[in-house]
Amino acid sequence: MPLVIDSLTKHFGSVAALDGVSFAVGDGQVFGFLGPNGAGKTTTMRILLNILHADSGTATWRGIPSTKLPAETWGYLPEERGLYPRMEVLDQLVHFAALHGVQRRRAAALAREWLERFGIADFAKRRAEELSKGNQQKVQFVAAILHDPAVLLMDEPFAGLDPINVALLKTAFLEMRDRGKTLVFSTHQMEMVEELCEAIAIVDRGRIVVSGPTREVKRSTGRRVVRLGVAGDAGIPWLADLDGVRVTRPGEDYTELDVGADRDPESVLHAALARGEHITRFEIADPSIEQVFIERVGRRPRTEERLAPSPVAVPV
Amino acid sequence: MPVPIRNILTLARREYLWRARSRTFVITTAILTVVAVGVALAPVLFRYIDVGGPTKIGLAVGDTKPSLDVASTLETMLNATASTGSDTNAQDGGFEILPVTDVAAARRDVTDGRLAGVVVLSRAANGDLAFTGYTKALAFERAPQLVRQAANAIAIQDRLARAGIAPADQARLFAPASFTLEQPDPSVKTNGPSSPESLVNNYSVGFAATIFIFMAIMLYGQWVAMSVAEEKNSRVMELILGAATPFQLLTGKVIGVGAAAFTQYAVMFVPATLAIVFQDRIAGLLLGGSATSNLPAGLTVELLIAFGILFVLGFALYAVLYAGAASLVSRQEDINQIVAPLTLLSTAGYLVAAYAGSGLIDPSSTLVFVLSFVPLTSPYLMLSRLGTGLAGPIDFAIAVALLLLAIPLALWAAARLYRAGVLMYGQKPSIGTLVRTLRTA
Repeated sequence: MPLVIDSLTKHFGSVAALDGVSFAVGDGQVFGFLGPNGAGKTTTMRILLNILHADSGTATWRGIPSTKLPAETWGYLPEERGLYPRMEVLDQLVHFAALHGVQRRRAAALAREWLERFGIADFAKRRAEELSKGNQQKVQFVAAILHDPAVLLMDEPFAGLDPINVALLKTAFLEMRDRGKTLVFSTHQMEMVEELCEAIAIVDRGRIVVSGPTREVKRSTGRRVVRLGVAGDAGIPWLADLDGVRVTRPGEDYTELDVGADRDPESVLHAALARGEHITRFEIADPSIEQVFIERVGRRPRTEERLAPSPVAVPV
Repeated sequence: MPVPIRNILTLARREYLWRARSRTFVITTAILTVVAVGVALAPVLFRYIDVGGPTKIGLAVGDTKPSLDVASTLETMLNATASTGSDTNAQDGGFEILPVTDVAAARRDVTDGRLAGVVVLSRAANGDLAFTGYTKALAFERAPQLVRQAANAIAIQDRLARAGIAPADQARLFAPASFTLEQPDPSVKTNGPSSPESLVNNYSVGFAATIFIFMAIMLYGQWVAMSVAEEKNSRVMELILGAATPFQLLTGKVIGVGAAAFTQYAVMFVPATLAIVFQDRIAGLLLGGSATSNLPAGLTVELLIAFGILFVLGFALYAVLYAGAASLVSRQEDINQIVAPLTLLSTAGYLVAAYAGSGLIDPSSTLVFVLSFVPLTSPYLMLSRLGTGLAGPIDFAIAVALLLLAIPLALWAAARLYRAGVLMYGQKPSIGTLVRTLRTA
């Protein structure tokens, strides 16, 4: 694993933003970094970028600690998007690339290519403030990748994008992966995680609650999802009597059940057959990331005081 | 190129071009240049527009047969009073006396503005000379006053001549007394010339240079502060901090804004300085004849170099501190509040320099001496002390060395403040914030 985050802690005053965060990201992986707002995702990224210093713990890329890595290692898309509002789009893309050591002429050519791809080539000479939010976000993405970084750190890259732009960005993500880049991104859109991420980590209140390959994380709860459909339209009322089974989605076609770790999912099928039901559908699946997320972080009472002071209030 | 230098130059380049190319910058620079040249040429222009040559006064001697040449005496006396009188800023082209015979025609000339006035002589019953002035000028204006003084003197000379005192004796009677001004405190040493005029000059040259430093710090320091707050407000600094350290960012910003400031100053000052240097030639072209040079006597190459060095270092120090302070706020409205203590310090230094320059504070006092070495006030006070000759090259070198020490220290503190402050949004600027921020940085 080339990107290793090991026992990071960070306090802001008395507030613990990170409390021993550890996870690892494989080479060329698309990695989902999940967690509720204020869990410590942005703080972790800022420590990787050397914007913040950790109180303790290390983060290394190919064995080199983040404090010693050249800034060019990272391509960063901050959660709070930031461009110079009155500066021309192309000018600032070249500026950011030059800050990472890319020659201006080459940066300009690359930037034009990417703007073309994202369908915003006409805006190259416009001020950033004249662009729509979605287009600004695409510019922001270009700014993050022009210097060809080894690792992309993207904080909520899909937030606020329309479906067309989400698709564009997703394609760009996969292309980056195919070019051998490692992608770490945070999001609240769980279907995006299901679709893109080979591995994930879920962070809550400064601690990693689960991490690993997506499939393993899904199975880590021990729960399975069973979708059962039977003939007739009276529903399946007897399911409520089974131990360790919870109906999560009653429906016309089929009923979705959450089956606890202590129960064999197939026993549901046996129970149905024993009751003489005509099975129209039976399916055993892993729980969705969303279900895992809610199970892992959703049930505990939350206290606002423990939230890290990463961007909270947006000044007017 | 090492990465830190590359980053600093890249950041400075953006900062410089962003400002220097902006329409506001071009327009203000143009306006400031015109104003500066205008101020530099004001004495010449004033003479050209307002007076347009010597004040012409008609003189009708009539049949009074005075014992002296009234026309030449009057002209000599008027011009002598005008150039050495209490009003050292006399900008007029002197007086010219034109003998006239037709009083009625001369009075018409006054009415039409061809003459400033006409003086008509007559003999009173007791034989004394009597003067009647015809002019549109008011009685309390300078020219009528001067004419009146001269008339008194002429009348006295006429009486003396009639009383049988020879003209040579008269000249001796009216010779001016010797009069000089000196420093009251014998321990006040003045390296330069010690005549009252040259001391005034030296004060004002040092003080003028102080004004320029003060202006630059207030104006361009504000630019740095605004630039920091803008980047924070637009969140763009998070992207920059991903590529450069706060130290590099602040250094680049101060260099970039500083370069823009120097561009504006250079564009403004080079023509203005040329205008001052060539003032007599310009005056000669416009007014004809020869005019005296108005180049301040206290302005030396050494003082200009000292000014340049203190200007750059003073600006750098304040700009760095302004940037650090501004990183604590995210709204433009809050900038003034957070930089207020710095502005106050800067103003205090400037005012002490101004008071020392005008003599309200003794320029050789301990206060001025100490403050002329303290980095935040030395740009102002060392310059004043240099201008008046109270400080030598060694004092200057010490002040510069202290500034050179203070700037990296300020950069370090500001970078620390920046790292902590810049990621905190929506906070109220206060001492509490500052302390908390520094603790958690």
